Amino acid sequence: MSGLAGQLAIMHETLGSLALAAGDAAHAQPRFGTGVGAKFDVPRLFGLIPFIPLLACALCGLCAAMKVKTKLPAAITVGCLLASFGLTIGLYAQVHANPGDFAIIHAFEWINFQWGQSEAQSLTANFSFYADSLTALWMLFVTGLATLIALYASEYMSHDVGQGYCRFFMAFSLFVFSMACLVMGDNLALLFLGWEGVGLCSYLLIGYFYKKPSAVAAAKKAFVVNRIGDLGLSLGVMLAFVQFGSLEYAEIFRKAEPFLALARDGQWQDIPWTVQLIPILLTIGAFGKSAQLPLYVWLPDAMEGPTPVSALIHAATMVTAGVYLVARMFPLFLVSEHALTIVAWGGALTALLAATIGMAQFDIKRIMAYSTVSQLGYMFCGLGVMGVMGGPAHVFTHAFFKAMLFLACGAVMHGFAGQLDLRKLSGLGKMPGWRIVTVAMFVGCINLAGVPFITAGFYSKDTILGDAFANPAMVPIGWILLITAGLTAYYTFRVFFRVFVGPAYYEPGDELHAHDDHSHDHAHANKDHGHDSHGHGHSAWQPHPPGWAINTVLILLTILSFAAIVTVFKADGWLYRMVTNSSAGAGIAADHHHKFFGFDAHAAMKVVSGIVAIAGIAVAFVLHYSGRTSAATSKADSLVPMLGPIPRWAQNKWYVDEFYHFLFVRPLWLLSVVFAAIDKVLVDGLVNVFGWVPKALAKTARPLQNGVLHDYALRMAGGVALLLLIIVLMVNRGDRTSAAASIPPTDNSIGTLPAAPAAVDPIAVSLDPIRAKAQEAVR
Amino acid sequence: MNTLFCTLAQSGWPEPMPTGTLFHYLVISAAMFVIGLIGFVTRRNLIIMFLCTELMFQAAGLSLIAFSRFHLNHTGETFVIFVLTVAAAEAALALALVVLLFRRKESLDAERWAELRG
Amino acid sequence: MVELALANLASPALLYAGCALGAIGIALALPRKGVSPQIVGALIAGAGLGAMLLAIGIVNPRVLPNYHFYIFGFIALGASLRVITHPRPVYAALYFILTILASAGLYVLMSAEFMAFALIIVYAGAILITYLFVIMLATETPTADAVEALSEYDRYSREPVLGSITGLVLLAGLTTLIGRGVGEMQPASIYTNADRIEWLPRKVEQSLRRAGLMLPDEHIARGEPAANGAPGPLLISLNPGPDGAIVGSVTVAYGQAGTKVISSDDPNWPADLGISNPEGVGFTLLADHPGGIEVAGVILLMAMLGAVVLARRKVQLDEDARRDLMARRQSEQLARGGVNEPFAANTPLAPSTLSGNWEGGAA
Repeated sequence: MSGLAGQLAIMHETLGSLALAAGDAAHAQPRFGTGVGAKFDVPRLFGLIPFIPLLACALCGLCAAMKVKTKLPAAITVGCLLASFGLTIGLYAQVHANPGDFAIIHAFEWINFQWGQSEAQSLTANFSFYADSLTALWMLFVTGLATLIALYASEYMSHDVGQGYCRFFMAFSLFVFSMACLVMGDNLALLFLGWEGVGLCSYLLIGYFYKKPSAVAAAKKAFVVNRIGDLGLSLGVMLAFVQFGSLEYAEIFRKAEPFLALARDGQWQDIPWTVQLIPILLTIGAFGKSAQLPLYVWLPDAMEGPTPVSALIHAATMVTAGVYLVARMFPLFLVSEHALTIVAWGGALTALLAATIGMAQFDIKRIMAYSTVSQLGYMFCGLGVMGVMGGPAHVFTHAFFKAMLFLACGAVMHGFAGQLDLRKLSGLGKMPGWRIVTVAMFVGCINLAGVPFITAGFYSKDTILGDAFANPAMVPIGWILLITAGLTAYYTFRVFFRVFVGPAYYEPGDELHAHDDHSHDHAHANKDHGHDSHGHGHSAWQPHPPGWAINTVLILLTILSFAAIVTVFKADGWLYRMVTNSSAGAGIAADHHHKFFGFDAHAAMKVVSGIVAIAGIAVAFVLHYSGRTSAATSKADSLVPMLGPIPRWAQNKWYVDEFYHFLFVRPLWLLSVVFAAIDKVLVDGLVNVFGWVPKALAKTARPLQNGVLHDYALRMAGGVALLLLIIVLMVNRGDRTSAAASIPPTDNSIGTLPAAPAAVDPIAVSLDPIRAKAQEAVR
Repeated sequence: MNTLFCTLAQSGWPEPMPTGTLFHYLVISAAMFVIGLIGFVTRRNLIIMFLCTELMFQAAGLSLIAFSRFHLNHTGETFVIFVLTVAAAEAALALALVVLLFRRKESLDAERWAELRG
Repeated sequence: MVELALANLASPALLYAGCALGAIGIALALPRKGVSPQIVGALIAGAGLGAMLLAIGIVNPRVLPNYHFYIFGFIALGASLRVITHPRPVYAALYFILTILASAGLYVLMSAEFMAFALIIVYAGAILITYLFVIMLATETPTADAVEALSEYDRYSREPVLGSITGLVLLAGLTTLIGRGVGEMQPASIYTNADRIEWLPRKVEQSLRRAGLMLPDEHIARGEPAANGAPGPLLISLNPGPDGAIVGSVTVAYGQAGTKVISSDDPNWPADLGISNPEGVGFTLLADHPGGIEVAGVILLMAMLGAVVLARRKVQLDEDARRDLMARRQSEQLARGGVNEPFAANTPLAPSTLSGNWEGGAA
């Protein structure tokens, strides 16, 4: 340990000084523009990045149709995602060669119509991809992490090989496609498509275990809560179209420039309120997707899905879509007086609230979920305090270590039959086969806690804190985030100290059936851990440590989490350059140099937040590690009564769900009852009346349809007779009216024959007047 | 006697037919048709019902011949040939059906076949 | 003008009265439950028919058809009355043959003798025989004690009054409208098919030879040969004259010597030279309606195939018929006093009586 500490100190000195110098340099160059440079060309090949996962989705669907009973869908998905990742690296190389510029890759025409002659009366939204450094950054970790997590899932989901396996990887691939559309789209419509697509996939994957009522409820909740956010987003998109006459980023940014100039001069009153409203509406969408304060409630419940899903969608990628939206549309946020303030405060309050809830939970996956919500709050703060770089940077670093944390939790869950209660698991690190998981968990925890100087999480979080304190208007937010940092460190290590170190103990969860086909895996399982003496009723049951796929992924992620330091430890590090070279770079305008107790905010935070993190870990160490003898109890238990009802409230998530239930769900439910009654009585009644009339008519007419041939014939004949009668009567009336005007016919009229001349043969003549004439002629 | 055989006389130039005579034939035809119709509606034996349809065919044929004679061409007569064709076809099929129906129920009562009642 | 036109042809009151009488008579004559005054009904219906025929003959006696018409008409209508009123199908079919014969008489009266004989051959000779066969086939197996008994559905007719009223209204309407329509028609005066005699040179030759206008070694001449060497047309120019007779001329060649022209003005010109009825029908059918012949052929073929398919089908007695049959057999057994006969309640019926094969015959 002493060696590590020494290394830490050295790293601090070298890296810290570099960071300070570079940070000053970065802040010395304000560029208050749209952050959009010139356009450059890239090969259309990179347009395939989203479509390769779509192909994987189709192939998995084919597997499902052909009832494939092997791990083929996983192989397909991993392969396709790997190809996609390779292309993304190629795209990154292109973008890297053109810093600050952007490229548009046209895939195919999608929406393109006109309803008038003028330019504004047309809507163009093509399947085109916008490639700049922000896109490349996001796509790198989306496709990269997706590949790794697909590999992990190939083992994790192995108990479900068959239809479920295909379904899982179908939705998984579809998710990557949607996320790629969201991130790479060059217009808001494509972003919206991807936005809805990831929402759908999230729904499908949360509800993957659709026979579990809680999973179904969670999926519904996620979908419904996301709809509220999506409403805001769609309104924002529409308003943006109305205001700027286009949905394409390049066009929007070009047209927003006059407003940006006004905003720079502080002339807020000259900017139309509708323009200022756009970012606020977009914020609602972002808060819904990224689980921020009013709309965060779905994310913890989303942990009902399989753990790889939690890792990929609900920790690493999808939930960062909101952050991406804000970063991408940052020029628009700058033209609104209050939008960024809302973003910052929403993020800060969410961060604190989620952290307090996370402290009181016992389900380790849920703790990770709340920590995700909390860290997302950080990211929004990073954007909201006009720091810009911190948010996306934290997204990037967080993606790796949070995915790893979840995957480690998943490994525990997989190995212990769904057991996630930290009171029922202890000392996993001492069990054979769990070393890699423990190391991965440790690395993830120190990243999340922000252990100074050796973790990427520390640097990215630090940037956010520094930006907050540097902005004079956002100092309260800085304090909130600082407190949250301490809480984060505490609850993170609470999990680690409880589950991975300490006395070895475990109780299996309730998913024993899932392990029948893995008995060969844990034939060598630990017998010397005395689980039999604990009498949990499953003496024959053995936990099974993760296999090669899970371990490989965890090792890779551990390396990547550490490697991420390289990108952030300097203030103009690779990651920051990626962000500033994009449209989000527009925010690097405010040249804030507010001091933190007389020191430069960024430099001071390096020390202060490090101290706070270490303190949090120390508290966790004292309360949950030192002297702990059993899994279920710790020293913290004695502290709980001293805090009154607060721990109970926190454990019950501050009753937010109940509050929402009371405030929204119940009234809506009552309203729906009323409407259902109206529907049933009024609408249905009306429809039923219309249904009843023919029914009643039919009831009277039905005896006619008696199936007897005679009656049908009789009716037919009667109908003809009636028709004839009517015709006769009509003809008679017509005759009577016309007869009044015409000359009365003589008795020798039509029909009778002319009287025969006496001299001629009467019959011959009477029969044929013409012939009679002819005979006369002959004579 | 000349009067008697006038209408029977066959020559290359048939006499024109007065409208009054046509009316006579048409009334006979109509009466025969209506008798067939009444029979069809009232009788319950399937075979007799089909006989009644033949009666109606016959009535139609009679009026066709009458019109043919009235218009002094043979078109009406050729149509009677078609009527005969259809009647023969109908007799073949309908009687085959009657036999089948009878085998099914051991009865020719048309009223017993009322499966299509509403 | 309907009343006027009709009144010129028939006495409407008498016509309607005839209709009504006929309807009443038919209603009475149809077989029915209880008292069945068939004879009275038949008499009344006959009176009605007579009244009707009288009605159409009474107004203008000069245009009356000859009495053959009345004889055949009365036979036709009376026989068709019997067709629908006779309870026994066999007799009905026989009466139908009578109707056919009377109708054929009427056809002959209308100089449609070919159709008259075709009618007799096809209808009376073929169709009605088929009917008789089916009547024989499809008769309930008579029980021992009621060999002559009629089926229930032959004894009672359905709704005779309603049917008769409908018929009455229909007939009244029909005759009224026919009277009106016919009253506005003009009879044709020219037999348009007469010029087709040109197509029958052999017939013209024979007729002229019989009349002595052509010598045995003479024949009808040909016109100029065509350019390609084909023989020219036969030189006949015969047309329907203004009074329907054939007029025109025939050019006759005698040996190599030359030609002569025989004109219809010649006093020896045969008056009966013309198209006979079968010839006319044949020309009309083949020259004017060849498509109709094809269609008729297809119809007959289809009917034949259909009849074959239907006849080959095996049919089982359906449930309720089987139940009826069982009950009937059982009651017969009881009436005879035997209990241990093969038709006990739960014994399945012998297949020969159920499968629809009549070789089993009556049990």
